[in-house]
Amino acid sequence: MTTLSTNATGRIGSGPIEAAVAPRSYLQEVRERFLRKKTGLAALAVLTTLALASAFGPLLVPYDPNVGVATQRLLPIGSAGHILGTDEQGRDMLTRLLYGGRLSLVTGTAPVLVATLIGLAIGATAGYLGGLVGALMMRTMDMLYAFPAVLLAIAVAASLGPGSKNSILAIAIVFIPPISRVAEAATRKVAFLEYIEAARLSGASTTRIVATQVLPNIFNPIFVYASGLVGLSIVIASGLSFLGLGARPPTPEWGFILNSMRGAIYIQPWVAALPGLFIFATSMSCNLLSDALRDALDIKDA
Amino acid sequence: MGLLIARRLGMAVPTLLGVTAIIFLLMSVLPGDPLAGLLSQEATAEDRARLEASLGLDRPLPVRYVTWLGDIAQGDFGYSPYRRRDVAELLGTAFQNTLRLALPAAAIGVTFGLLLGAAAAANRGRFIDRAVSIIAMGGISVPSYWIAILLIIVFSANLRWLPAGGMSGQEGGLIDAVKHLIMPAVASAFVSIGQTARMMRASLVETYGQDFVDTLRAKGLQGHQILLHVGKNALSPVLTVIGLQVGFLLGGSVLIETIFSWPGLGQLIFQAIAARDFKVIQAGIVVIATTFVLMNLVVDLLQMVVDPRLRKAT
Repeated sequence: MTTLSTNATGRIGSGPIEAAVAPRSYLQEVRERFLRKKTGLAALAVLTTLALASAFGPLLVPYDPNVGVATQRLLPIGSAGHILGTDEQGRDMLTRLLYGGRLSLVTGTAPVLVATLIGLAIGATAGYLGGLVGALMMRTMDMLYAFPAVLLAIAVAASLGPGSKNSILAIAIVFIPPISRVAEAATRKVAFLEYIEAARLSGASTTRIVATQVLPNIFNPIFVYASGLVGLSIVIASGLSFLGLGARPPTPEWGFILNSMRGAIYIQPWVAALPGLFIFATSMSCNLLSDALRDALDIKDA
Repeated sequence: MGLLIARRLGMAVPTLLGVTAIIFLLMSVLPGDPLAGLLSQEATAEDRARLEASLGLDRPLPVRYVTWLGDIAQGDFGYSPYRRRDVAELLGTAFQNTLRLALPAAAIGVTFGLLLGAAAAANRGRFIDRAVSIIAMGGISVPSYWIAILLIIVFSANLRWLPAGGMSGQEGGLIDAVKHLIMPAVASAFVSIGQTARMMRASLVETYGQDFVDTLRAKGLQGHQILLHVGKNALSPVLTVIGLQVGFLLGGSVLIETIFSWPGLGQLIFQAIAARDFKVIQAGIVVIATTFVLMNLVVDLLQMVVDPRLRKAT
């Protein structure tokens, strides 16, 4: 056993015969499956670039995102000093997009994080308790399914008023029911397994069992499902600010810039279309990455 | 069968009650003055109280909810002081306009989705399969509002083939109506194409792997005959996705309708939100949610037609 694991490089055909059949840890297998899929790697590269560019890019550009030069309005892509052109107020587009990325990425990912925490708590509790209480909790969640996602987000965001915080909250509310449904299904699958029984016999409390036995074992399907929501979340978040329900001007945000440039599509169409390209690239990469994670973690139904 | 349908219909009732309750609660926390626009500038507190009483706003929340529920059950959605029209009338027109956009969009989305999904499943692992999977992923990921703007840039601003917005009236004729329809319908269809194609492919691939397909092959059936059997068995999950898509489109897309100034449900509700026109928001969301619930009901019933196993289920 010891000789096997010391020889285990994880690669087939390298070294002695045992290496090919050497036991590999679960994480090693997952990593290998992930590295094999090119689309997932490409998506990860795009997302990392976008995130780093949004985080550090604003420190490198010489322009102020909110101050424009009136004589340099709506310059085309490739202008001297303004690689991506300027907007309708003469502000540098690259600067606006980099600053906008900060807000767009945060308002896009935060709802999924919030919804996962709450949905996980609701779903795991309902799935573990089962019975009337569990059914009641899940039927209440089902009611929210009767609203189309975008409309529900718009209605909630409108009733809370515009602003990034409210937009995050509104989208989180949209995602809580589906996440809790996945969490409930996953919990019900493990709730009757022997190790839960053993934990109960050893005298662990319900809270403790859910926290230390159930949650770690339902993590993968929920992680994959939640990662699949990030792309949609970014599209909805930018959509809300496109409608004026998200970030408040003049703070740049991709959806908001896209809307404010609508008037310029007859003068500088491709500059006007740029913010949408960033939203699309982010959401597509998130979805491809989520698909690759699903394959790597070998999850069938989530 | 009849009993099963009745039970399924019965299940929709608590859902609809819950949905209306949620909307009602949401509206009562909405900031803004529900009497705005009904009172003149020099109205006194006394006028205000009298108006509140006449509208029933002084009564407790549960009572107001039940009264409101009774009213909408009779088709009385109230009056919009902002638009100076009956809400039912406003909703009726808007719903028709949304229908005019949603049905072609759904047709485009479902047709292309089914074709792409079937092509991918038939060429599993080959170039077409990979291409379809990227296209489908693109359809799901792309913001419809960006597609809308790209379409306007290409077909309105550059080529000048299609109008950038609005919905043609009676006088324009059929060609004009179609011209106004193309871009919003295509922009709305992208998500449906992606969702339908993915589900169609997954379901076909799974069904092809089942034992009965081997039996059919052993019996000497041809490829297209097998496809018929497989297609019928793969239909059920695809129907669910299609139902969701149609229900979603019937709700009217706020973003697409706003960009193309299409006078549908989505735009009506969005403008009502901006104007704090509570009656319209409330009724509009009720109509959309009800359509959604009914659409799911129709899909469930269709499932029973397609899949005999569901008819026996308890």
